Amino acid sequence: MALNRGFRNYFDWPLFITVAIIAVIGVVNLYSATSAPGARADIYIQQIYWLTLGAGVAVLIVAIDYRYYERHGWVAYGAGIVLLILVFLLGRTIRGSQRWIPIGGFSLQPSELMKIFLIIALAKYLHNDPKTDGRTLKDLVIPGLILAVPMGLILAQPDLGTAMICAFIFGTIMVLTNLKLRSLWALAVVFVASAPLTWTYLLRDYQRERLTAFLNPDDVLLDSGWHAHQSLVAIGSGQGFGKGFMQGTQNQFRFLPDQQTDFPFTVWAEEQGLIGTSVLIFLYLFLVLWGLKVAAQAKDRFGAVVAVGVSSLIFWHTVINIGMVSGLLPVVGVTLPLFSYGGSSVLTIMMGIGLLMNVSMRRFSF
Amino acid sequence: MTVLLHRREVGEFKTRYKWMALVVLVVFGGLLGRMIQLQLFESSEWSEIAQDNITKTFILPASRGVIRDMHGEVVATNRPSYDVYITPQLLNGDEGLRRVTELMRLNQEDAERLKHRLERVPLRRRTHQIRMFRDITRDQLAALETYSRELPGVDVLAVPVRTYPHGNLGAHVVGYLNEVNAEDLERHPERGYRAGEVIGRNGVESAWEETLRGQRGLRRALVDARGRLQPDRVPEGVEASAVSHVAAIPGQELALTLDMDLMAAVSRAFRGHPSGAAVVVEVNTGRVRALFSKPAYDLNEMAGRLSQRRFDELRQDPFRPLIDKTVYESYFPGSTFKPISAVAALADNVIDRGYRVDCPGYYELGNRRFRCTQVHGEVDMESAMIGSCNIYFWRLAEQVGLERLNRYARQFGFGESTGIGINTEASGFLATREWFERRYGRFRLGHTLNAAIGQGNTRATLVQIASAYAAIANGGTLYRPQIVERTLLSDGQIVEEFEPEVTGRVDAPREDLDYLIEGLWGVVNNEAGTAYDARVEGGVTVAGKTGTAQVSRHSPREGESQERIWYLNRDHAWFAGFAPASRPLVSIVVLVEHGGAGGRTAAPIGTRILQEYLGDDVEASETEAGTN
Repeated sequence: MALNRGFRNYFDWPLFITVAIIAVIGVVNLYSATSAPGARADIYIQQIYWLTLGAGVAVLIVAIDYRYYERHGWVAYGAGIVLLILVFLLGRTIRGSQRWIPIGGFSLQPSELMKIFLIIALAKYLHNDPKTDGRTLKDLVIPGLILAVPMGLILAQPDLGTAMICAFIFGTIMVLTNLKLRSLWALAVVFVASAPLTWTYLLRDYQRERLTAFLNPDDVLLDSGWHAHQSLVAIGSGQGFGKGFMQGTQNQFRFLPDQQTDFPFTVWAEEQGLIGTSVLIFLYLFLVLWGLKVAAQAKDRFGAVVAVGVSSLIFWHTVINIGMVSGLLPVVGVTLPLFSYGGSSVLTIMMGIGLLMNVSMRRFSF
Repeated sequence: MTVLLHRREVGEFKTRYKWMALVVLVVFGGLLGRMIQLQLFESSEWSEIAQDNITKTFILPASRGVIRDMHGEVVATNRPSYDVYITPQLLNGDEGLRRVTELMRLNQEDAERLKHRLERVPLRRRTHQIRMFRDITRDQLAALETYSRELPGVDVLAVPVRTYPHGNLGAHVVGYLNEVNAEDLERHPERGYRAGEVIGRNGVESAWEETLRGQRGLRRALVDARGRLQPDRVPEGVEASAVSHVAAIPGQELALTLDMDLMAAVSRAFRGHPSGAAVVVEVNTGRVRALFSKPAYDLNEMAGRLSQRRFDELRQDPFRPLIDKTVYESYFPGSTFKPISAVAALADNVIDRGYRVDCPGYYELGNRRFRCTQVHGEVDMESAMIGSCNIYFWRLAEQVGLERLNRYARQFGFGESTGIGINTEASGFLATREWFERRYGRFRLGHTLNAAIGQGNTRATLVQIASAYAAIANGGTLYRPQIVERTLLSDGQIVEEFEPEVTGRVDAPREDLDYLIEGLWGVVNNEAGTAYDARVEGGVTVAGKTGTAQVSRHSPREGESQERIWYLNRDHAWFAGFAPASRPLVSIVVLVEHGGAGGRTAAPIGTRILQEYLGDDVEASETEAGTN
């Protein structure tokens, strides 16, 4: 109804413009990242297709009042779980993990979409169970289960990065929705205590190898250590002003692995320098803060939690990706929102942006 | 009601929102800080690594000059050695390692060492090709080549190594190569050796190092992460110096004066004698045709990786294979020195040709009695030379005196290195009156007498004696012994031609030398001559002088056999001469270490070598001589 009354008045221009800028320079950067001989040169075109599709989905999402999603939250969540189970039945195994469902010429990564469904499901649950006096550990059992089911399925693929992001989103939402400080500390203790168990039982060899490589940067027999090192070389050699578009030697001479998915930020940093990296970091910072502002101004709990969820999704992806390419975190294969190539990733982020826009535009509709 | 409730809920949420925004700010600030650290403060280091990543320097080795003998026969040349280089980054980890081990049939120890070396390659060099094996066998090469497609990061490169077709023949003159060591790098900084390069170690290879070596080239090119060349892509901002090409300049070839056929003949003539040396010099040019030292070592073995055990074996061999006995070592020349004493006496008219001496078989000096080789009776210079009478030369020495003897010896080139230019040449030794006074407190007549027969303190190298006899044969001109005749480019174009070089003249009339030559002819051709048994009937006419030089007493080592002690205390056998006697072409010196009597051991070797070398020319020269 609000939409019909004054689309122009309520449209969230800052959100739209920020996302548009990131998406455009992301495509430009992909063009350079895949211009080395032997790389898939058509990737930036594919990215444009995905962005267009994503934008279409976002428009659809914006068109329908988000309270509709609140009503059908469990359906979305259930659909996500079904897709995750389908991965094991239909999925293709690429590089040792089963994450993709082939659809026509493309492949869908349900674990990416699951992040959005998880946010919606948690928002619905918290909407209906506000616990205004503060949330104790016991009150975390049900939301915990909501997280645990998809996370378990994702870990089984295995996809450590996505599972971790899901956990972080869950944590962020809980911290922001009346979780008691005492409970927070308890959670932290459990988290630390479970680390050795995770190391021994949950992690696969290659995952452990990556972490070891991060902790021992000189132990270079491990591939991931070498990749992380080359990423640092690329970023550092970009200096203040960068080597220029398409002129990054680390990129052009193929010293960066997976430069279109895991390391596009590195390409950007090498070619655009500190100027470029500052601009990009500010854009993401603005996006996250804007998301939090939308959450703070949301007219109801569901909208607020959705906005927090989407903001934290962008926050964690950005921080982990930039952290790993700049050697602050181990290389775990987390994408940079709208900058990394990948259909499911772009679609997921665009759905999130759509939800954020939806919440933002309907904050005046009471 | 619900709306109100929600409002309050969201209101509480707002307080946490502020904390959240702060956390977000701090975390992003951290990311920005990291960028500032990498891209501003550490940028030059990272830039250097980035540049280093894509530039690869290829050393273009210069091929070392080929060495040939006077007939163009190859003495030293280059062959390809197949070396295995591994780029650790491209090797498929343990699987790649396993394949290499399997294909090269490495034993457990070598496989472990390879693994260890690969693990120790530092990060920055992991994209570089690193040499892991040298000069692999043909089977290993075939296996690696066959499966090269399955072996990323493993490359076999052919590098030239030195090879010596004649093995140990002429080993000491030719010399060999091995890797430069720290000392070489320090001693010749201007030559710009790099670790792993080779340097000439002995003989001509060492003395003519700069000529033979050439100049390496350098190619700097851009490569991608897999080490593949990217010649057409020079991104902006890559320093121009990253790409360059300087071609290698091949080393020059050497044409030696040596005759490898003659060397082979010398080697054959020495069969049955474990230790000795010989020199053949052209009398009218000083060109060295043979320079032979026995025992020798295989140059190919020395040029390869000589084991410590084998090296110790060579070093401890009592026949001293590592020593060049023609140039580096000096000896008592013994009776081969007598012609020098004769010239000193004749040229200064100390005596005339009619001077005669009675040899009772001994010489009394004070209360001591020195023995001659036999009782010669009345002898003149010619018969004294033929029978090698010591008494005659002692009487001669009494009148000539040490000072005059030394003066003539120096004119013949003794006491000073000849300048042959290889192997740290010894200068030999002529003791002076002052030296004796300093050494023994006073000078005695006995010192002069000893000097006149080449014993006592006189020492000479084989090359010196050969040059001196060449001077006798050519009428008194002393030439510098010459080893290298010319240098050439690899296409055969002559760079430099080396003419014979006269270094002195003997101050003696031609007739005196001719008279001396008659005596030397008699040594070989007169029935009474000490080398009469060594003459080749109907062959080349040789003139010369035998010698039997005492050696310093051998101090026996633990467990040494009586036979060996007897052998090592035996005299050195000498023969020095020239041929054909009527019109000399070459002079020769033969030393058989511990060979006993010169006439019996050394002279036959000398005449045999000369016969083989000049045999074909003998008829022509003898006929010519006959018409004179």
